[in-house]
Amino acid sequence: MSPPSKALAEFVAEATEILEALGKDLLVLDERRGQEADPERVNGIFRAAHSLKGLAGLFGQERISRLAHGTEDLLDRLRLGKLHLNDAVLDTLIEALDAFQALLAETARGTESDGLTRRADGMAERLGQLGEVPVAQDEDPLERLELEAQVRSVFTEYEEHRLRENVRRGVALWRVRAAFDLSDFDKGLADLNTRLKPLGEVISTLPSAQPGGAHGIAFDLIFGAQVSRMELESGLKGTPAELSPLAVRPAAPSATTRSAEALVRATESPAIVLGAIGVASAPEASVGGSTPVKTGGSKQGARAAMEDGASHPFTDPDSDTELGETGGSAEATGTSGPSLVTYLQGPGGRAPGRAVTPVAAPPVATEPSLRSLTQTVRVDIGKLDGLINMVGELLLIKASLQRLAESARQEGVVPLSKLFGQELARETRGLERKLEALQEGLLEARMVPVGQVFDKLARLVRRITREAGKEIDFVIGGGEVELDKLIVEELSDPLMHLIRNAIDHGVESPDTRLAAGKPRRAVVALRAEQKGNHVVIEVSDDGAGIDELRVREVALTRGLITFAQAEEMGRRELLNLIFLPGFSTARSVSELSGRGVGLDVVKNNLGNLSGIIDVWSERGKGTAFHLTLPVTLAIIRALVVGVSARTYAVPLNSVLEILSVQPREIRTLERREVLDVRGQTLPFVRLSRLFGLPERPVSRYFVVVVGLAQERLGIAVDELHGQQDIVTKPLGGRLQSVRGISGATDLGNRRPVLVLDVADLLEEGLALERRRA
Amino acid sequence: MSRFAELLDDFFFRPDEDVSGLQDFAAGSDGVASSTPEEVPEEYLSFLLEGESYAVPIRLVREISKVPPLTEIPRAEPHLLGVMNLRGELLPAYDIKVRLGLTERVPLVAGPDAPAPPRDARVLVLRTETGPAGVWVDSVSGVVKLKPSMLEPPPPGLRLGDKDCVVGIGRRGPSLYILLDPEQALTP
Repeated sequence: MSPPSKALAEFVAEATEILEALGKDLLVLDERRGQEADPERVNGIFRAAHSLKGLAGLFGQERISRLAHGTEDLLDRLRLGKLHLNDAVLDTLIEALDAFQALLAETARGTESDGLTRRADGMAERLGQLGEVPVAQDEDPLERLELEAQVRSVFTEYEEHRLRENVRRGVALWRVRAAFDLSDFDKGLADLNTRLKPLGEVISTLPSAQPGGAHGIAFDLIFGAQVSRMELESGLKGTPAELSPLAVRPAAPSATTRSAEALVRATESPAIVLGAIGVASAPEASVGGSTPVKTGGSKQGARAAMEDGASHPFTDPDSDTELGETGGSAEATGTSGPSLVTYLQGPGGRAPGRAVTPVAAPPVATEPSLRSLTQTVRVDIGKLDGLINMVGELLLIKASLQRLAESARQEGVVPLSKLFGQELARETRGLERKLEALQEGLLEARMVPVGQVFDKLARLVRRITREAGKEIDFVIGGGEVELDKLIVEELSDPLMHLIRNAIDHGVESPDTRLAAGKPRRAVVALRAEQKGNHVVIEVSDDGAGIDELRVREVALTRGLITFAQAEEMGRRELLNLIFLPGFSTARSVSELSGRGVGLDVVKNNLGNLSGIIDVWSERGKGTAFHLTLPVTLAIIRALVVGVSARTYAVPLNSVLEILSVQPREIRTLERREVLDVRGQTLPFVRLSRLFGLPERPVSRYFVVVVGLAQERLGIAVDELHGQQDIVTKPLGGRLQSVRGISGATDLGNRRPVLVLDVADLLEEGLALERRRA
Repeated sequence: MSRFAELLDDFFFRPDEDVSGLQDFAAGSDGVASSTPEEVPEEYLSFLLEGESYAVPIRLVREISKVPPLTEIPRAEPHLLGVMNLRGELLPAYDIKVRLGLTERVPLVAGPDAPAPPRDARVLVLRTETGPAGVWVDSVSGVVKLKPSMLEPPPPGLRLGDKDCVVGIGRRGPSLYILLDPEQALTP
């Protein structure tokens, strides 16, 4: 294959995005197994598969296109209710997603392996064969709906299916009629749709039979409401919408046999109903007793013709049902639903003899990397506009500077005037400010939701769970929290390690859980939360917890700690031993984890991101890891503190809390100073002593508790001056060897303010403690 | 200095007002031909430290700055006065008086307890192998052009530190300049 070109890179980026969306929706379906699937979501997945097929076809990626085709076909049957969403179908879909990822990875590398091609084609074939026919219904619920036949006739197959589902479930159906001015009806309609969405399901949008005035256009929205009339009315306040209920006749068991035959016909091929309107609709209408039908008789032909062609552009401003539209026109021209499906499947796609194929997970040889295939970041165009504006202002400054340079050159050796110097200084200051703003804007553009990596992990969890023979509910929360793209990318490996640990070591087998009186299915949760200017990510399980005595035993036998040290350690300190390199409590090295690398890798990776990791565990209840990360690495928020009249800045991302401490509360333990914080002993240093500054008597200290990875240290300062965003400049050059200072910043008064190097101070403070102890 | 003297200050002779051309012209008019007329003079920046005249090659001086607020670096080498912010750039400022044996102790110039710097004090930003470094001087005297013939090796027995940070003596008319090697002077 040719090496990856720019066009190909674009394809990979776009396909990755589609797969991400697809994966997200599949995940939701996966989480809600056993419940009724959200039709919007199934439709969303269908659309994603459809776009992927189109995209792959456009770029000549036949393997992806073929598989996408199979997936799309399966999803089409699913959304039309021809196929029931069961576990086998869902598993196959998720497997298909994995196959897409693998195909895309190969495409990105510019390779094509036969094994994968066979796997993908085999899967496409299996997708076509998959499915079970839904149980035949006694009565078509649509028959119970009092809706004009000519309205019904223009529904697409999908819309009809949705309407039927809604009637069957007894959802209150409404006709929402709204007239808009022709000039901005698209906006008005979109607005109406946004308002309706949270209140229920917009089943269909049709041009209304009632004219909307000379310059207007009116629409009928068929709406299945999840809320009461009152709520619906208040939700639509301010829109031109008028509500009228669509009456539904209660289900009549006696009618079942009478109309069964006709119903089966209607379900199978709505096109026949359409064709038979003139004949069949009259008795139906009389049963329904709907008035417009009588007056509509003469208009019927014209209206049907109009809707056949003209209605489609207006049908859905969101272009929600692209393929549904094609389906609709296919019906109108007399093609029945099933034949459309056959067409989509391609020749030889269907083998009805083997309707349901049990899904056997093919062994996956290599572990797919969780890192993104592309380095793309999606940026809101508004942000980019802001950046462009800034560049424009920079160009203006450049022009001024050029002018100054020119005048300086012409004056030559003549000493330059004072005014010139002032002007130059002013322009330079302006340049500096603009550059700072530009930097800030660019940093903001780098932010991506952390959910990107969560979704990838969720798919991995399914596989790990299967391999480990455990039953797990994987819960995700806070995926919308934003972090620097770089941090998000670097997070995937540590999180993967933690989740594997949770599944492999944390969670017990189903039988053990039952014996312990816990529910059979375990819960592993991954949650992100923004807390001020850092993000906390929690990986937790409700498994057996960490056995600290076993941790102690292992640490002793491996020589990681001495016996004397072990004697002194509390439960928390023992738990923290699991972060030491070469530590693993797994009695048998499993396929998944327990190779003794893992937590120390996690700790290292997090340390590189200025992150903190903390572990909580209770035996029998579970384990939780808390990862605290800065939102971004370049501009940081700092706590400004005062010691002996000097000012220092402490990066806030490593500050855990601030305590106010009276001098008498400082205790001495074996000649080292410690604090007792909520029952835990906190190592403590006075910054003035550590830095050799003249100490001043104070009535109380502020103790800034800093932490990096699982270490903690209290740093006593005299004053707190508040928080500020700072850009740290490294001391660099000749000052690299200075301990405890990572750089300096300017707080606006020209005097450099030193930024404390928390990692350095922690190490120093704890080394000091160890030496003394 | 009285206010009156201050007013007159501008009219006094400043060593950096270069008159060497005139002097050369005058020297030539004596009829004594210069032995090496083609030798190229090098420019030196001369400055005062505790009343003594020192000079460094001007190509090593990036700029001369008034003394900005300095921030002391805790636990750094004693001759590091602190860091300063020069138009957003972070620079270390050093003392070389102790190194040269001019004072016993590094003066307190950084931090909150330091007095305001003297009016004439300046920081020379020097180019060194490990990046720019500021050097505190009591005042800047000016630029002197010194020809190779005006340079003398450092006299033995001159009050010196352990290492040779003095590379020679420049003699120009009645003035003597102690020529420094900044790289050496900044080595603790």
